[in-house]
Amino acid sequence: MPINITKYLWKIYTEFTTRIYDIPPRMLAFLSFIILAAIPLMLDPIKLAFLIIANIYAILAASWDLLVGRTGQISLGHAIFYAIGAYSTALLYMYFKWPLWLTMPLSLLVGAISALVIGFPCLRVKGPYLALLTFALPFSVKGFLYYYSDIFGGDAGIPPIPKKLYEFFPMLSGDQKVIANYYLSLGLMAISAIILYKIATSKTGLTFVSILDDELASKACGINVTKYKLMSFTISGIFGSFAGMIYAHMVSRRVDPLFLDVSYSIIPIIATIIGGIGTIYGPIVGAYIYCFLDRYLFQYIIPYVCIPLGNYTVRIPLKDAEWRMLLFSAIVVLLIIKWPRGIARAIVEKLEDLEEPREIEEIEKEKKLQV
Amino acid sequence: MWQYVLIQGAISGVIYALIAIGFALIYGICGISNLTQGAYFMIGPFIYGVLKEVLPNYLPNLSSNTILMLALILSCLITAIIGSIVYRITLHPILGQEVNILILSICVCIIFQQLVLITMGPGKAFMFNIGELLPGMLAIGNVEVSRGKVFAAFFSILLFIALAIVIKGTKIGKAMRALSEDLEAAMLMGINVEKIFMLISGIAAFLASLGGIFYITTTNYNVSLWMWLQGLAWAFTVVVLGGLKSLKGALVGGLIFGYAETIIIKVLPKGGLIIQSFPFIITILVLLIRPKGIFGKRIEME
Amino acid sequence: MPLLEVKNLTKSFGGLIAVNNVSFSVDEGEILGIIGPNGAGKTTLFNLITGYLKPDSGKIIFKGEDITGLPPNAIANKGLVRTFQIVRPFRHLPTIANILVALNSPRGRKRIEWIKTPERKAMDMLEDVGLSDLMLEPAENLSHGDLKRLEIARAMALEPDLLLLDEPFGGLNPIETEYMVKTIQRLHLDGHTLVIVEHKLQALMKLVKRVLVMHYGEIIAEGKPEEIAQNEKVIEVYLGRVI
Repeated sequence: MPINITKYLWKIYTEFTTRIYDIPPRMLAFLSFIILAAIPLMLDPIKLAFLIIANIYAILAASWDLLVGRTGQISLGHAIFYAIGAYSTALLYMYFKWPLWLTMPLSLLVGAISALVIGFPCLRVKGPYLALLTFALPFSVKGFLYYYSDIFGGDAGIPPIPKKLYEFFPMLSGDQKVIANYYLSLGLMAISAIILYKIATSKTGLTFVSILDDELASKACGINVTKYKLMSFTISGIFGSFAGMIYAHMVSRRVDPLFLDVSYSIIPIIATIIGGIGTIYGPIVGAYIYCFLDRYLFQYIIPYVCIPLGNYTVRIPLKDAEWRMLLFSAIVVLLIIKWPRGIARAIVEKLEDLEEPREIEEIEKEKKLQV
Repeated sequence: MWQYVLIQGAISGVIYALIAIGFALIYGICGISNLTQGAYFMIGPFIYGVLKEVLPNYLPNLSSNTILMLALILSCLITAIIGSIVYRITLHPILGQEVNILILSICVCIIFQQLVLITMGPGKAFMFNIGELLPGMLAIGNVEVSRGKVFAAFFSILLFIALAIVIKGTKIGKAMRALSEDLEAAMLMGINVEKIFMLISGIAAFLASLGGIFYITTTNYNVSLWMWLQGLAWAFTVVVLGGLKSLKGALVGGLIFGYAETIIIKVLPKGGLIIQSFPFIITILVLLIRPKGIFGKRIEME
Repeated sequence: MPLLEVKNLTKSFGGLIAVNNVSFSVDEGEILGIIGPNGAGKTTLFNLITGYLKPDSGKIIFKGEDITGLPPNAIANKGLVRTFQIVRPFRHLPTIANILVALNSPRGRKRIEWIKTPERKAMDMLEDVGLSDLMLEPAENLSHGDLKRLEIARAMALEPDLLLLDEPFGGLNPIETEYMVKTIQRLHLDGHTLVIVEHKLQALMKLVKRVLVMHYGEIIAEGKPEEIAQNEKVIEVYLGRVI
């Protein structure tokens, strides 16, 4: 008897974990990881560059999604965490010359603390005020950075900081460095995804979603909503800073105010809306799709779009950054109207429906019996 | 000096109120957290500037003042139509999803910003000079104020009165007030929410663009790329200071902000620099202390 | 010592006095009903007691402790739990997850007997109200009657010392009403203290031993159900005139 109950309970647990937390079967995730790991065998290293960035953006997008998609706190200025991660790791290195294994965790700590500092007033501010406040925050901080340019280096930013890999593997050459960078970014992204998955499927994650669903009911259940909102802010800040930190070490030449650019606030939004808000795989898939479109498709494959209008032909140069920003904003607008829960998620839901048509019939039958 | 502050503060305040009132209409009365107002704040002056250059080619026999007036009215009307259409296409389908509305409206602002950027080219888009509204100064008492500002303020007050009459008096105004009280009940009563919201969006866009034109042509004469963000910041600050749901509140908030700004610029030596972040500081402080604004109703349970 | 003491509670909104100097107490093991016409202030009273509104004046004492002004989640964690008049389930979560959220609160976590996992306990709660079949169903698919039962199951998950039910019979058909009556009777027999606000007088009068009648924010009558039914003031308030 006891054995049956355990099996029954385990089945129920896994069944509903999959359904409520919107994680596709682990098999699918594992398979995609295998495919991603095998990519360097298929592509030449030049094209790997955008995949590295895709991984970093995936972490940034996942951190945004945790905040907005799981607890419902709007952040339109996520670039701030990106920049905090990058600047703190660069500053710590530049001023104290501490070894990397010390500066990196410390910059994550800085990210966490600043998330708390930013989070506190954000709790009191509602709706459009919060949206505008978070949107304008990176701009204000940018001004602050320029004002104190003797500390922060102004436009030129902070001089190059050691690339992670060169520290550990100085013997690698050109191409191999890129491949190694790719695997490192992939690994870090996978680790972040797994950690966020564990958080999302834990009781804490469940509480987060309950706050999103109905804050008042959550309070009635004894949940300290403030505590959990700050918690989600902190975790989001940590992973956002993590993304910025990796970018600073792995990709960019220096850490400058460009890290606060509005595009880093918009990219997680684009990625998450494409992929599916409120899921774990959504932001990751969305980041890949975004990077593919932005850095590859619209720059090399379709640099121009020609639209014939009567006698004239309108030529839109998609390789210009302004047009791409416009296009992506328009895509977000379209997606929000048509598929507010994300395209990837719509596809996953269609697949699930195809898989289990019988269950739907049973549910219909039950509904009819209930009246 | 206090005379200067008194008059200048009032004039600036009225103009700020005009900028904010569109937002107050949409957020306070419709309950939609619509940030696209910022885009209209920028688009209005932009279209005005374009029309100003282009119209004389098509209507060469009109005097330059008439051209200006025509450009003013046309640009605001065009923006109003854009506002209505944008609302219908983008916001109406997702009414009620506040997070999505916010994200979407910011994206709309960015779309318009990019359109302006592309049209003007990367170099020029940051400084698009659209000229002065009315040259010359006017003397009120011992104080000299620019004629453009006086005209703008005067016109704005007329608009406020007209708006107040429409909202309190006409059937449409009554419908708007009904909507603000209870959306579902209004729908059940047969009020066509879609048309009314489109109308309100159009009016708000009109007001925002007029506010933008008035502000730019009386201050720094240049349309800049990020002015929509600035406009939104002002609108928010004014609305927070004056309370959410009333026209009166927007006017009061605008005046408070106008006076505060005038005093600070006069008193502090580097006042101009602080002005940039001023709206945000005020907004944060007020919201932290009184989450519903100074005159807004305090509802503790949502 | 009474379980709950409400002393001179007053709350006004703008010029309107919603709750006017209300005082009453609830003893342990009691089942108390609060009735009154719409707008009498019953739900406002609940909101005040459970921390969703701050009173203008007055005190609320629960288990000897002054809980006036505490936030709603703190009050829930002390054992004073409420349900909502208009159901507030977590719509996108499955039914069982609704219970699990409550079990994740500080009180929920403390009270779990070490031998049962939270999932097991949640399943038991659902069984108590007859919702076991719908365990994995997203709450938004449940019927109104089911959602009312889910409200109660979720409140019970916190093992309350005092349970405030806000119109538990609202919108239920006769079969569901009967089931709800039995559920509430079972709760009472298990020893829980209940305060019920309700409109459906037939159902309520069968359940409760003592009734408070509210009108325009004041308590105008108090006593056993039979007495209240004969009370002239009460009849006038409900029917608008003296019979």
